[in-house]
Amino acid sequence: MKLKRFLLRYYPPGIILEYEQGGNLKSKSIDLLDLKPETDVDAVVDEITKKEPLITAAKAEQVRKLIERLQEKISQKDDHHFYLFKVLRAHILPLTNVAFNKSGSRFITGSYDRTCKVWDTASGEELHTLEGHRNVVYAIAFNNPYGDKIATGSFDKTCKLWSSDTGKCYHTFRGHTSEIVCLSFNPQSSMIATGSMDTTAKLWDIQTGQEVASLNGHSAEIISLSFNTTGSQLITGSFDHTVSVWDVRTGQRAHTLIGHKAEISSAQFNWDCSLIATGSMDKTCKIWDTATGRCIGTLRGHEDEVLDVAFDFTGQMLLTASADSTARCYNALTHSVISTITGHEGEISKITFNPQGTSVLTASADKTARLWDPEDGKCKQILEGHTDEIFSCAFNYEGNTIITGSKDNTCRIWR
Amino acid sequence: MGLLALLRKLKSSSEKELRILLLGLDNAGKTTLLKKLAEEDVSHITPTQGFNIKTVQAQGFRLNVWDIGGQRKIRPYWKNYFDNTDILLYVIDSTDRKRFEETGMELNELLEEEKLHGVPLVVFANKQDLATAAPASEIAEGLQLQAIRGRQWHIQACSALTAEGVKDGMQHIVTMMAKKK
Repeated sequence: MKLKRFLLRYYPPGIILEYEQGGNLKSKSIDLLDLKPETDVDAVVDEITKKEPLITAAKAEQVRKLIERLQEKISQKDDHHFYLFKVLRAHILPLTNVAFNKSGSRFITGSYDRTCKVWDTASGEELHTLEGHRNVVYAIAFNNPYGDKIATGSFDKTCKLWSSDTGKCYHTFRGHTSEIVCLSFNPQSSMIATGSMDTTAKLWDIQTGQEVASLNGHSAEIISLSFNTTGSQLITGSFDHTVSVWDVRTGQRAHTLIGHKAEISSAQFNWDCSLIATGSMDKTCKIWDTATGRCIGTLRGHEDEVLDVAFDFTGQMLLTASADSTARCYNALTHSVISTITGHEGEISKITFNPQGTSVLTASADKTARLWDPEDGKCKQILEGHTDEIFSCAFNYEGNTIITGSKDNTCRIWR
Repeated sequence: MGLLALLRKLKSSSEKELRILLLGLDNAGKTTLLKKLAEEDVSHITPTQGFNIKTVQAQGFRLNVWDIGGQRKIRPYWKNYFDNTDILLYVIDSTDRKRFEETGMELNELLEEEKLHGVPLVVFANKQDLATAAPASEIAEGLQLQAIRGRQWHIQACSALTAEGVKDGMQHIVTMMAKKK
């Protein structure tokens, strides 16, 4: 084994080692999820050199410099004030979802007008209109971190794969028998997973355009899915009140997470994939141990349906958004409440952290998106201007640009 | 009502839940009718650029009413909403005689849609509070409703603004569903 080079990853903090083994170039990551501005760097370097054979004493100094850079990055104060940069009359009908590419240079919007549009973030210019679906374009994604492809899932039961540079359609994936409402690329960008109202999820090969596997087992609509960080597992959340954990290689179900008393709204892995958080219409959020499939905590307190859940990038904090117009921030390990977020005047349908984990972004039926401090739940900013409810919102990777998609047919860029 | 709620309303979850599609030309009064059904204020209504959804209770039924914008450029997208429709409500501005032909053509196209095959139809002859309104009987004749086969239909004179006739129309809907199920 020979170390070739280091790559720095800011969010979540980590160092990627590229090394050669038996003539092959490989990589592994040293996650520094607990790194804080006040962490003793010497101790961290010591621990890494002890544990990681690739880091010899000669490399220790280099590792120290990298950790110091990470520490510098996370010490930066988050006092960014967002202003409305552009209103894009994006579509002739309501928007559905929005998504950024990794660098944030481009983003995409899906719509009831059956198109997905590709936008340049800096200029607000429309780069491409992806036309071809015969019904609502609901689920959309870039194949991050690459960003050269886009997948769209439609109420027309098909999923399409596009070039984000030319807008050309590579493949149309047919096989679902009802609306496609969630999708994701695997981290390697070799596969797409789609979830459908037909109760199944399917895996598709990006190169060949063929169906690789059909994941059957849910008894009601699948409305949420995500891959783990390595791409070996996929979770699907369903209106049948359960979440399934699938082995991607075999297409077999590893676990069924049973315990919620109503429909699932969202299911997410934390970064190291040790935990799964699930939100439900039963007003609770549950935390599960991925390895055993056992429920290890039920977060109660919301007075209405939990509509979305989100971990921060390090997996240490967990957010819940509810139809009761409030959100909550929890410690993901102790399950204690860090803050309660109140102020919205309508249900909160989407919630997310900025990559730094220093701000919470919420999208609400009250036509506003808001920024909050996760530590004390105080409102930092209200993003006002949409004339109808906000369906979707996203941060770019740098955390300095926000996009919001609304039922008012517009998309707004905030910087 | 976020995106998730829209997904839940795509399907009726029970026998007692009905999905009702509200269509018609722009300015027919669909949104006013919807708001009246939900007992909301109807004094400030702007053209619908997308859709509005309200859930109302009527005689033990939960009615999920989808009001879809009627402007010409967005009519081709009506198809997006056809799936799982239990009842079609078609609203007509009874004073807009110049567009009776246009509204008739749109209705005929709807009746030929495979996904709306057999779906009961209630035509609301709206704006009867205005003196220039054509009576429901004249509209029924103009639209040749008598020629409709293979589905239940009813025409209801109403004023969404004053609510006159709205309750009667909803009563017909419930009766039709009772017959169908």
